[in-house]
Amino acid sequence: MSLLNSNWWIIPLFITFFSGIICPAMGTILITHKRLLQVNLISHCVMPGLALAVALGVDASLGGVVSGLLGALLTESLTNKKNENYEAVMNTILAGSLGLGLLLIPFLGIRIDLEAVLFGDLLTANIGDLLRTLIAFLVFISLTIFGYDKLVHVGLDPEGAEANGIKVSFLNLLLGFTTALVIVSSMSAVGVILVIALLSMPTLWGLQKARTLWAAMARSSIFGVGISLLGFVLAMIFNLAPGPLISVLCVASLGFPLVNSQ
Amino acid sequence: MTSLIAENLAYSYSRQGQLALDNVSIELRSGTLTALVGPNGAGKSSLLRLLQGQSQPNKGQIRIDGEPLMNVRDQVALMPQRSSINWSFPITVEGLVSLGRVNSSKTTCCELEAALQRVGIPELAKRRLDSLSGGQQQRALLAKTLIRPAKIFLLDEPCASLDPLAREKFLIIVRQLADSGLILFVSSHDWGKSLYTYDRVVALNKTILASGTPQQVLEKLFSIGSMGNHCCG
Repeated sequence: MSLLNSNWWIIPLFITFFSGIICPAMGTILITHKRLLQVNLISHCVMPGLALAVALGVDASLGGVVSGLLGALLTESLTNKKNENYEAVMNTILAGSLGLGLLLIPFLGIRIDLEAVLFGDLLTANIGDLLRTLIAFLVFISLTIFGYDKLVHVGLDPEGAEANGIKVSFLNLLLGFTTALVIVSSMSAVGVILVIALLSMPTLWGLQKARTLWAAMARSSIFGVGISLLGFVLAMIFNLAPGPLISVLCVASLGFPLVNSQ
Repeated sequence: MTSLIAENLAYSYSRQGQLALDNVSIELRSGTLTALVGPNGAGKSSLLRLLQGQSQPNKGQIRIDGEPLMNVRDQVALMPQRSSINWSFPITVEGLVSLGRVNSSKTTCCELEAALQRVGIPELAKRRLDSLSGGQQQRALLAKTLIRPAKIFLLDEPCASLDPLAREKFLIIVRQLADSGLILFVSSHDWGKSLYTYDRVVALNKTILASGTPQQVLEKLFSIGSMGNHCCG
């Protein structure tokens, strides 16, 4: 413990490292399942839950996960069978949830550092933030180890998977839960909004030439860790906010996989 | 000698909805290659899903060698439409084929190799799915279906979006499979010359319009003028 106290950068470094692994790996699963838009939705839907959790005095991340998942479930329940209205419903709920979260803060008389929640505040991260990231890491690893075959089958051929007895709706619910957990756990590292970049960009690199979902996730994570650590170090050197810097680095690296895929 | 007999099938997507299939009866026997033709919305995919047990008919019954379908569902394998597969998924051909078994970890190398041999693409086993041509992808998908220990294979528009050469090659493979004693029931939009590849043809438009040899069916369709002279592959 004394080591952590005297070396303030150790916790932020570990959070950056683990977020750099799980965000791109989660993004790889979501993009292969054509569910990456859900990240946008969940990341905005965590706000009301965060506000309520703070008001009730429970762990903010718990509220965030529940509220993010409820937003995703509400969207799916309001979407018609052919998915024609999904984007419209999703964007409405996404904006509405963010608005509700912002309204709840003065209504409940609580104080939330909105800038830190939305865009991250790595340098004030504590042991609780690290534990949240580790829990998300363990849940994600468990999902991929125990559900790998199902993830592959559903991502490749959802109808065939259903016909083979795989409970696709339940798997999608688990994916939603794990996504919400990953987003909330990355709150301190890059914030719930900027995490979208870390879930998306490394995936483009990871998917190239990967012959299995495992390989794609591993490649995405390697790139994600690299870009996260680079962002962290540059932020320390130039005294910049790490979250926004990591997001900008993701955009700057976007050209690499796109050129490579030509 | 395996046989699949469906009698008086009726099916609708919702309880009070319009019937997608009405009074459909067919018989499929070992070693025969049967085409299922009909326009868009004719109920071809719905019929194949009923025959595979994915959906339940509102009326009628399906039996395989006298047994109700649900007791012997593993005898039937369905190759889905091309559009239901995520072709950009990071997976190799052998990865795709091994998923054909409900528990893919039980698939042995020999089974994999045999399935790829049957569709003529053993050399593509290690290739990524999205690096293949459309025809090769369809053959890989057929191998995934063939790895199931079934005797009846239902193929949902396997030739859609294939160029004429790839379609011809695919139909040769399907012909060989039927000649080896399997039942193959292949849905198609194409009622042009390639129809003569099949032993029998069933023309469907919510109900059976005609069935018999290709010549008989084409003559009947021409006489009733119900489907026009389309050929859209």
